[in-house]
Amino acid sequence: MAHSLSPECTSLKHEYDSCFNAWFEGYLEPAVAAASSPAQREAYSQQKATEFQDKCGKVWESYRECVQKAVKEKGLDTLLQQARDENPLTEPPPPPSAPS
Amino acid sequence: MKFFSQSFLYDDPWSIVSLAYFLRYPNPYAAHVISCDVISRTLTPSGTLLTTRLILKRGSLPRWAQGIVGRAESWVLEESEVDPLGKTVRCRTKNLDHVKVMQVEEWVMLRQTQEGKTLQTTEARIRSGFGWGLTKKIENHGLKRFKANVQRSREGVSLILNLIRQSRLHPM
Repeated sequence: MAHSLSPECTSLKHEYDSCFNAWFEGYLEPAVAAASSPAQREAYSQQKATEFQDKCGKVWESYRECVQKAVKEKGLDTLLQQARDENPLTEPPPPPSAPS
Repeated sequence: MKFFSQSFLYDDPWSIVSLAYFLRYPNPYAAHVISCDVISRTLTPSGTLLTTRLILKRGSLPRWAQGIVGRAESWVLEESEVDPLGKTVRCRTKNLDHVKVMQVEEWVMLRQTQEGKTLQTTEARIRSGFGWGLTKKIENHGLKRFKANVQRSREGVSLILNLIRQSRLHPM
């Protein structure tokens, strides 16, 4: 697992990553089919969200707090805000018709 | 402006390739990644997962341009959406700083094919606003680097894929 941008947050990050990855592995192989009803899908999503909250919610809160503080201290929050204001990421560019 | 577009077929199913894709840092092919943090992550009402990661990379600029901007590191923003029912991952990345020198935006999509394999499509746009007669030179350099990095990045994902396969065959 890669380091955090702040050494202070790295151990929290590793703890969070392990927790998330275990949850994510199951999330990627859903127990409901794409063809199931919207209600079934919603119930399933809700269940996965609750499962994540129960297992990893606490460490996620601590890790996020730590990173947000570090992001502010490094002055990256302005950079992030600018990135989103100036050039919101939308869809891929149209395929090049005549590459320059 | 330069464009890049390429697709690649993994033999593995989508869920494993997607897992490997998200676990790809660190790996020996990505030694330039200094840090990688999740700064926001939410499950949408429709069940997809939105993630924003902030990544610090070393040496994405040419050496001579590093001399100009005075720093060899670059912050990269990665935004992704995972849809486990539709079996797609969409991921967009771009650098946040040195954008005047060179802005690289990348779009990656992972989709399950009918044969149960995984198709990755990568598109990128490389743009410099540097001027001084260097714009084209910078863009060409950026494109060359990007092509080489796509290859390395794939080798990194393949390595993680192998590790996942092995751990599933022989659980610890």
